[in-house]
Amino acid sequence: MENEMKNFVGLSAVLTGFNESIIAPGIDPINIKEEYLAAFIDNIGTALCNEILSKYESLKAAGKTDREIGEGMLDDSNGDAFTMACRKLIFLWYSGAWPTLINQGTATVSSLLSAESYTQGLVWQVMQSHPMGDSDFRYGYWNEEPPALSAFTGNKTKN
Amino acid sequence: MENSTEYDVVIVGSGIAGAIVAYNLGKAGKKVLILEAGPKVPADRSAYMETFFKANAKTPESPYPPATQNAVPSTADNPLGLPDPAKENTPRYTVLQIGSWRKPKQSYFDFTAQPPNLQGDSPEAMFAYGSSYERIGGGTTWHWLGTSLRFLPNDFELKSKYGVGVDWPGGKDFYNKLVPYYEKATNEINVAGSKAAMDKLYEQFDGQSSFGPDYDYPMPEIDESLVDQAFAEKVSSLEIDGEPVYLTPTPQGRNSRPGERRQCAGNTNCIPICPIQAKYDATVTLARALQTGNVEIRYQHVVSKVLLDENTDEVNGIEFITYDEKNGPATGTGTVYGKKYVLAAHAIETPKLLLMSKTEKFPNGVANSSDQVGRNLMDHIMYLAWGLADKQVFPYRGPLSTSGIESVRDGAFRSKRAAYRIEIGNEGWQWATGDPFTTLADFVFGQNTTQTNGSKVNGQGKSLKANPNLPDNSKLFGKELVNTLNDIYTRQLRLGYLIEQLPNETNRVELSDTLTDNLGLPRPKVTYQIPEDYVRDAFVSAKEVSTEIFTSMNATEYTEEPGKPIFYPEEGKELTSTNFQYKGNNFKFYGAGHIVGTYRMGTSKENSVLNERQQSWDHSNLYMVGSGVFPTLTTANPTLTIAALANLAADSILEDLG
Repeated sequence: MENEMKNFVGLSAVLTGFNESIIAPGIDPINIKEEYLAAFIDNIGTALCNEILSKYESLKAAGKTDREIGEGMLDDSNGDAFTMACRKLIFLWYSGAWPTLINQGTATVSSLLSAESYTQGLVWQVMQSHPMGDSDFRYGYWNEEPPALSAFTGNKTKN
Repeated sequence: MENSTEYDVVIVGSGIAGAIVAYNLGKAGKKVLILEAGPKVPADRSAYMETFFKANAKTPESPYPPATQNAVPSTADNPLGLPDPAKENTPRYTVLQIGSWRKPKQSYFDFTAQPPNLQGDSPEAMFAYGSSYERIGGGTTWHWLGTSLRFLPNDFELKSKYGVGVDWPGGKDFYNKLVPYYEKATNEINVAGSKAAMDKLYEQFDGQSSFGPDYDYPMPEIDESLVDQAFAEKVSSLEIDGEPVYLTPTPQGRNSRPGERRQCAGNTNCIPICPIQAKYDATVTLARALQTGNVEIRYQHVVSKVLLDENTDEVNGIEFITYDEKNGPATGTGTVYGKKYVLAAHAIETPKLLLMSKTEKFPNGVANSSDQVGRNLMDHIMYLAWGLADKQVFPYRGPLSTSGIESVRDGAFRSKRAAYRIEIGNEGWQWATGDPFTTLADFVFGQNTTQTNGSKVNGQGKSLKANPNLPDNSKLFGKELVNTLNDIYTRQLRLGYLIEQLPNETNRVELSDTLTDNLGLPRPKVTYQIPEDYVRDAFVSAKEVSTEIFTSMNATEYTEEPGKPIFYPEEGKELTSTNFQYKGNNFKFYGAGHIVGTYRMGTSKENSVLNERQQSWDHSNLYMVGSGVFPTLTTANPTLTIAALANLAADSILEDLG
């Protein structure tokens, strides 16, 4: 579809609460968004992916706020498959792993896409830290408070 | 295969114990051969890192070969794709096998069936063993934490002072003998620690001083974490069984300053693997040993038999099998010869090898006239407790642990219940709940596995809902998700109690009658129980103390009582592995990775495998090193003492070589 990646990035930023500059940095050698979009399509199918991105595009075009867009995307009226795909996309961005719900939906197991997807997980940013095993910090940083959360998400964090 | 060279010493195993012996002997000009079952030490650790990053279950063994998961297609019975140990040349037990300990196609160890008619608290109940090891060049220090505590003098005379377990040969004299070797060991590992903190601690325990005036750690102590500070501010108001409670910075084998290795960058990944080798591992000492020019190592040489001279009873050779591919066929066999022999294959493979080497004259196996080989298997069995602080403490940062409560490791209470040290975790709820992905799933999919997304109330009457403004089973997105996750992750606390298990001769490693590996060698059969109320009472204490600690700091405790034990197949229920009941509580223990006791030192050839020189009573040119020599488990992580004892053994061997 036209503007597929643009819509995917916009949708991902809205759902994760991270700024587009984190989701799709201007200089992006790792380019994890490509890997995630491919995995998203692979897991939910092209038709549902197109439906989701089209819905996002129309909500965005209608000038809705991020909160309104997110609520619109996750509204029950979209159907279970649609909203579950959106929630799984959130999980993917945070973890780098594609989730499977088990035990009647009460628990989750997941499978990492790649070594890069593990280190790119937003979960390490939301805790104001680094991927376990992949720190860019220096000795002793743990003895001091980390930078503000907004430095990790690229967004002001309070609603 | 070349068999003609005779070495001064042949060593089986290239972990920290074998490497230290080799280094000492090589430095003294002795010709040494090391046989290592596993693959060689890689030139750099990037391939191990890649395997670790991709592993869904980031267990201690996950970076290392052979693969621990996704080795075969996932099935309902084997969702993680654990490999079949029968098809591997160097299989080993991994923590992923704990849950499948009664499935021989997934678990390396054979097991003993449960006796009939068990109750939840029956002392006769069998459990999965909780800890694992590596079979690779450099051994299990690849995945050690780095904790480098000495044992306490009283640890060496548990029997004469407290009436339980056994003494080490010579009791406190053994500790005094070990002091200079502890110093050598801290130097070899390059331990970062605070001498003042250790002096304070040791003065508390009968006023025994631990460090002479002239010795200090090679590096200053590692900075404490904000998590440590949150505990330190509050716990000093407490007392446990008459002992004061305070935090001690943990002496640890990681660089606090740049040196021969890099300065710790706080990757929070000491277990399974330090990406920059700021943490010591035995490949450091192994490299030093090889640099002496007198030490040779052969990888992918699996030792299959210790040979004995029929007349002298001395060891007169070591047989091995070689392979090229981890699942491939044997590619050769051979025998190597030395004047002295050292077994350093850790506390499962060493007794296995001794038992495999039986002869007509020694039907119980080599070095086993006492029938003690394989017995007294121990581990620090761990009680985990976790909670949320009342303020941000920023875990998931720094080394996995930087402080502990060491002040409760000894005291009069040790005549009544097992002692423990309390390790403070910097890894949030990673161990406790499988975080960060578990809390993530809770708030993305409206689950409540971590109890933070529901209205449950804990034992102190506190609501466990992390954000009281949210409904139960909230499904969040956007900024609300960001803020909720940030609030929970940055407040996570974890305590781990390393409970001292007693030596018990029915806890043992034997040979499986039926199971073999890909080379046709028998697999270990492990029988493991926790029968003593003395040990189980420490779980009750740990549970009570955790609640007191969390209460003292106004934290909310989330420790979840595990399900009751399932010892027999029941429709719709999973068999449990490490769950037990005691005094009205359901407990689940975790392994600490401390495999101890299966070829112990002692005072006579009747009660032990080795004399206090770590020399076999039965075969005077055979020595054994590693934590298998420990008569008791004591209250500290074993590696520093393994290293000290290996230095001591090297001196014994040099003396005997003349």
